[in-house]
Amino acid sequence: MKSFIVPALAATGLFANTYADDTSLTAFNPAVSVIVDTVYYGENSSEGMSHLKEEMSGFGHVHADGEEHHHGFEEGFNMRHLELQFSAEVDSYFKASAIAAISEDGAEMETAEIETTCLPWGLQARAGKFFSDFGYINARHSHEWDFTDQPLIYELALGSHGLNEKGAQLSWLAPTPFYLLLGAEVFQGENEKLFTAVETDELPAHDGPGLGVGWIKFSPTLPGNHACQMGLFGAAGRHQEEHDGNGDGTADHWLDGYNAFWGGDAVYKYNSSRPYGQGDLTVQAEYLFRRTDLTVEQHDLLPALVGSDKVNEQDGFYLQGTYGFMPRWRGGLRLDMVGLTNSEQAPDGTDSSYGESWRSSAMVDFSPSEFSRIRFQVSNGDYETEDGTQNVWEGFIQLVVSLGAHGAHKF
Amino acid sequence: MKYLSIILTVAAIAFSARAGGLNIVTTTSDLGSIAAAVAGDHAKVESICTGKEDPHHLQARPKYIMMARNADLWIRTGMELEIGWEMPVIDGSRNSNIRPGQPGHLDASTNIEKLDIPDAGTISRALGDVHAQGNPHYLTDPLNARLVARDIAERLAQLDPANAEAYRANAAAFQQRIDERIPEWTRAMAAFENQSIVTYHKSWIYFAKRFGMPIAIELEPKPGVPPSPAHLNQVVQTVQQQKIGVILQEPWYSKKPAQLVAGKTGARIVVAPIATGGDPAATDYFSLIDLIIQRLGGK
Repeated sequence: MKSFIVPALAATGLFANTYADDTSLTAFNPAVSVIVDTVYYGENSSEGMSHLKEEMSGFGHVHADGEEHHHGFEEGFNMRHLELQFSAEVDSYFKASAIAAISEDGAEMETAEIETTCLPWGLQARAGKFFSDFGYINARHSHEWDFTDQPLIYELALGSHGLNEKGAQLSWLAPTPFYLLLGAEVFQGENEKLFTAVETDELPAHDGPGLGVGWIKFSPTLPGNHACQMGLFGAAGRHQEEHDGNGDGTADHWLDGYNAFWGGDAVYKYNSSRPYGQGDLTVQAEYLFRRTDLTVEQHDLLPALVGSDKVNEQDGFYLQGTYGFMPRWRGGLRLDMVGLTNSEQAPDGTDSSYGESWRSSAMVDFSPSEFSRIRFQVSNGDYETEDGTQNVWEGFIQLVVSLGAHGAHKF
Repeated sequence: MKYLSIILTVAAIAFSARAGGLNIVTTTSDLGSIAAAVAGDHAKVESICTGKEDPHHLQARPKYIMMARNADLWIRTGMELEIGWEMPVIDGSRNSNIRPGQPGHLDASTNIEKLDIPDAGTISRALGDVHAQGNPHYLTDPLNARLVARDIAERLAQLDPANAEAYRANAAAFQQRIDERIPEWTRAMAAFENQSIVTYHKSWIYFAKRFGMPIAIELEPKPGVPPSPAHLNQVVQTVQQQKIGVILQEPWYSKKPAQLVAGKTGARIVVAPIATGGDPAATDYFSLIDLIIQRLGGK
């Protein structure tokens, strides 16, 4: 009897495999969407905005391994992104998503993350490569920003990609009567500006992970259509730099130490009951302070400086608001300031203090549907550099479209 | 022993959360009204939409995450109505009981006879904000509310077997009330039989079908696209040709496009809530349908 049943079951299994309905296979496909983000850009600086940002007093010269990494806009047409997004529930324990950022030079993995959906007591764990959830704007993809470019302090302190790293996160929704979310993250430490290990014989090798981040978000329950959220954050990690002091094209001194940043964020939103975004108001602000604390490990030109410290302290904030002044139309204003604190203690003991830079931006955008948006933005800033203050105008025309799965955005 | 005490503590917390009965969270207020009728005293019902907002365009606020956190049952309209904000709320709540596919997640559209399902071969976003699974505004048909009441009762019976009979009895009472009211509502709507109307958004097709009231055209040229002058001209022509007397819209839409059409044609603008709570007089599902019919009748 037994020997009769086994081949019969095997036969049904084979049948099922061979004649499986096509729809039963596609039903498990991940949600796929494509974001196309194009920008037309113009500015009037003498040497180019990306270069100017690297010359800004106190913020320049933090490049880790001498690699020129201009990620800013070029004048004329820019194909900023082609983002290919996949997401799905893995099983009843995990969900996962991945984003490939495709450019004309190739594809890179922007994020690839696995998140638990089954942990008890308000816990959630995440691993992979993902945007840190500190602050408000860091975890948002560039097409979700209300302005075409990122806040100045973010770009100067963390680079054009923000804090997006390989690592793990644990977060906890506290069982309090108000919304309180706490998170801890450990990352490899590969941020281009603040947290990097340079692989060179002149510097000690450090094994990862090299960066820890902690944050807390609090939201009081407001009546009606009002909502707000406030947060505090801090991060600390290892950092190494190599520099070319005499400009001959080869590195001649190397530094090793710890960097840190901390700050706060706040956002208020009014969601009007009216359709097409009319009457919706968002005001958000973030402040970030960073301290770099490095020691000279080796100096080919001035060996006497070995063992002395280089300490930098810089900060900045942005404050922005957007308002839906007509159905599908929004207007927005943003103020950026950096370098309210702007000091540098060089290894040779000289203390320098620099001034501040500011930028103000205005934008108007029109969203024909939830899947397309055209934005016009103008920015004007006074940037403090070694050669004095430079005033620069920038203009952006951005067209973003989304194809495929209809994504939802978090608060 | 240590583990045992942890388990006991957790069980005590979990039990205390349930001590006052089940927590039901519905996405829309009309679902909330039906769920409250079915749950009776055995559950607390909260709704994310109050009836005053367009449910397509909510944002996933921390407040909603707080509501979802302790929910035993999450009931949604489904058919992509809540697609712009539902999953960030469920993910953010870390409540694995209410994830799609779990017993604590009920898609109320499951057994509805869906209308306006776009043809898979021609569906495109060029058609506007169309929903691949069909038009999600099915609760404007009282017979769909009747079906949803039964589905909610069955799901509550599964989650809370001790009170299964109470849920079924409450649902039966709700259904009986619907059955009693249908002839009266149908009589009141007799004036609209084969008398076309205009609506702002394509949100009244289930109601119109139930009461035999054709909808000639919408003020929106395509779902989710605001009225354009060219399209409003077409609406004016349609209203004149078909001698249409009523333009029906939800309170959250601007009245200007309807006023423009009314000014040229003499049609009457009717603003009626589409969900419970959308008007002070629409306190539950029955008073909601009463109010819609009264407003259509010009009372």
